[in-house]
Amino acid sequence: MTLARPPRATTGRAARRAPADLSFTLDQATVEAFAAGEPDWLAADRRAALELFTSLPSEGNQLYTPYIDLRGADLEDVRLYEEPAAAPDGATAEKLPDGIAGLADLREDRVEALLIDDASHAAGVRLETLGGLLAADPEAAQRLLGDSSALPATDRFAQLTRAGWNQGVVIRVPAGVRLQHPIVVRWSAGAPGRGLLTRTILELGDGAAASIVEELGASDQAADTASGGGQGLFSGSLEVRLGRDAELRVASIQDFGPGQVVFQHRNAVIGEGADLHWALAQLGGRLVRSRVDNRLEGDRSTVEQVEIVFGADEQLFDLTSYTHHVGRDTTGNLLSKGVLLDAARSYMKGMITIEKSARGTDSFLGEFGMNLSKKARSVAIPSLEIDQPDCRRAAHSSSVGPIDESQLFYLESRGIPPDEARKFIVLGFLEPVVTRVPLDSERDRLRELLEAKWNAGLVGAAAA
Amino acid sequence: MTATRELVTDRREEFAFHDDIVYLAETKRGLTRDTVEEISRFKNEPDWMLQFRLRAYEHFLKRPMPNWGGDLSKIDFGNIVYYRKPSEREEKSWDDVPDQIKATFERLGIPEAERKFLAGVGAQYDSEVVYHSVKEELTKLGVVFMGTDQALVEYPEIFRKHFATVVPPEDNKFAALNSAVWSGGSFVYVPKGVEVPLPLQAYFRINGENTGQFERTLIVVDEGASVHYIEGCTAPIYATESLHVAVVEVIALPGAKVRYTTIQNWSNDVYNLVTKRAHAHKNSTVEWIDANTGSRLTMKYPAIYLRGENATADIISVAVAGKGQHQDTGAKAVHLAPNTKSRIVSKSVSKDGGRATYRGQLKVSPGATNVVASVRCDALMLDDISRSDTYPYIDIQEDDTTMTHEATVGKISADQVFYLMSRGLTENEAQNLIVQGFLEVFTKELPMEYAIEFNRLVKLEMEGSLG
Repeated sequence: MTLARPPRATTGRAARRAPADLSFTLDQATVEAFAAGEPDWLAADRRAALELFTSLPSEGNQLYTPYIDLRGADLEDVRLYEEPAAAPDGATAEKLPDGIAGLADLREDRVEALLIDDASHAAGVRLETLGGLLAADPEAAQRLLGDSSALPATDRFAQLTRAGWNQGVVIRVPAGVRLQHPIVVRWSAGAPGRGLLTRTILELGDGAAASIVEELGASDQAADTASGGGQGLFSGSLEVRLGRDAELRVASIQDFGPGQVVFQHRNAVIGEGADLHWALAQLGGRLVRSRVDNRLEGDRSTVEQVEIVFGADEQLFDLTSYTHHVGRDTTGNLLSKGVLLDAARSYMKGMITIEKSARGTDSFLGEFGMNLSKKARSVAIPSLEIDQPDCRRAAHSSSVGPIDESQLFYLESRGIPPDEARKFIVLGFLEPVVTRVPLDSERDRLRELLEAKWNAGLVGAAAA
Repeated sequence: MTATRELVTDRREEFAFHDDIVYLAETKRGLTRDTVEEISRFKNEPDWMLQFRLRAYEHFLKRPMPNWGGDLSKIDFGNIVYYRKPSEREEKSWDDVPDQIKATFERLGIPEAERKFLAGVGAQYDSEVVYHSVKEELTKLGVVFMGTDQALVEYPEIFRKHFATVVPPEDNKFAALNSAVWSGGSFVYVPKGVEVPLPLQAYFRINGENTGQFERTLIVVDEGASVHYIEGCTAPIYATESLHVAVVEVIALPGAKVRYTTIQNWSNDVYNLVTKRAHAHKNSTVEWIDANTGSRLTMKYPAIYLRGENATADIISVAVAGKGQHQDTGAKAVHLAPNTKSRIVSKSVSKDGGRATYRGQLKVSPGATNVVASVRCDALMLDDISRSDTYPYIDIQEDDTTMTHEATVGKISADQVFYLMSRGLTENEAQNLIVQGFLEVFTKELPMEYAIEFNRLVKLEMEGSLG
């Protein structure tokens, strides 16, 4: 659909791989190089993770093995950044933009900015790099990083990040502190042949409240085609711990370049009465594999997760969510929506597990897709595993369909040209995430990104 | 509540009968290449069938056990008799059937059923069809309804043309096993334009400890013809494992209409691992109506491949999982042609620690434009110790597909039970009524006699839970 699609880089590619084969290897020497300057507990943690990464299959869940495809990732030549900066290089006197409480701006192996407003700092809110935290407060670092349960031991990609992380951000909000403005965490990556492995840790004390906007985008070094100059790797975790009655909103806008391979893992442990809201937008990358684990451990805890995918060209979005109900009267509300152009694919895998202890659960999972091209493919696997029938609701629903003709007809009858009408319907379909972005400027930016991607697709369709 | 429980007795013993029969021919326990050759020799088969069996056997050896689904680790392939022939030849009339076998069928109500309205009866006693009758008028219409072994002899051309075209031996490990050692089952051929006025039915029975049942059913419905085939099972209860590995192939040629109804009530020691698949050609309709109340573990996902334009698939699957049972059932609709439609409805009940799993697949392949598909799964859990899982796979590769899927899981409503009890029903009766109502989407598709029998089965299951 796009005007000039580059030919697929088939030459020079290694022998045909099986769909579950990961072309990236993390060797002992690389891990040891990281471990050399680190405390023993951390070195041991990396080694344990490396062992798991080496031994685990790419997809540990038997249910999902038919739907994994890592062939789009050519990572043989990718090397990790060896000594990323732990702090801005001093010269930056960047001022915090209005309306945000903090900014972490990380570009490839550099730290562009690490800022927090005075009021938040005075209230005890901390925004640091992992390197900075290790130097300043080793005890806190050990508490946050040394907890191996923060990343699932059965997930190969999470273990990759745990073993080989070379950058990280920690945000801590003490008990009772309620931030008025969001904190922005910006990751820019995409230098061909380079790997950035990051851990982001968010900890909210009892009764604390915060909102985070995560921007994931292409750096100035990123290649602007899927094949030109080789791929880059971004593998990142987001580890959330919510204390009693804490409230966290996370909005993430992923718009990496077309040559980026993205592995994401988000893991949340939600305490009693705490609320977590995810708004996740996936637009960029060649191959995106994302997994979200929500553990509703505290009684009356809730999670809302709204996720959109807008795919084009040969993009593959492989998204899994696990919602684990453990406490009593917990609530889970998950919604995934995907729009696919060209030969884009999306695999939406969702699993609700209701444990025996989780009486009074209310859990819903919805997966909805719109295939707008003959070559697009959407797969939905919304599953339920239930050990406790005493629930308010346990349901999932999914649908895949084209643009609704009656909606189109209605808009056209109001004088809106067909192309415009189609655009409205598609952007409206994806709107649920847009409205949940807690920062005006980011919300506008997301709308623009979605519209630009739609327009690019349209131009391509006209040319085709 | 306790008072009601004492009043209810577990009546399932009545169905746990076992006759001592002298087997005239059987293979040694275990499965080797010799066993396969021996079965073929017993049956005096043409060489191509022997070669087919051997090819399947080789594949069976190579293929790993599936590691998803139910627990298959207790199956001991080496301790099973793969072929056993209860009487020398196929009987022509009921009078010739040995008395002892007759007595068993008597308890199943076969002669009774036949007197009423049966179009034909094929009763499987262990591994061979011993009794088979087709009403004269059907014969006149050209409808063939006989044991699969017999069909291989009498209709070699049509048999060979369709056999294993829907489920090749390489499809899965158990299809390979069945292909290697199959014996018995039904063969149905309905000629062009013939509408079979009454359901064809076959009772299947397992008798004999550790006897595998490996029946193979092939149903070919020619252009514009229609048929309803009914299969129901009961089995004696034994302490050690039994294995039932069947393959059912249905071919609905252009414009044909086929309905296949199953009531599966194997005893709770049986592993029921069945591959059921239909090919629906242009303008045809295929319906699987499938109920599973028995067995220790059932893994069965009736499938319909919609190969021709305007074909329609309808699958209704219900399962009741009680103590020690795992019903891993579901449905599969694969859309390969434009303007095809499918509907899947699944209902499951789990209780007393039973586990009900829905596992289904809906696939729309490239080229299958304008597909309309829906999937609905509901699960009812009657207590805290049971488990219910739902694993639907939805794979859409076309841009004008309309697909909806919904699933819910819940417990029996206390309000409904309370209301019924206030009307004078016992708690057990109230629950039973609610479960019957929940499963009605299935029951209402059955002929009346079967609906009654099915409701009785559900009631027995429900009472068993309280006994």
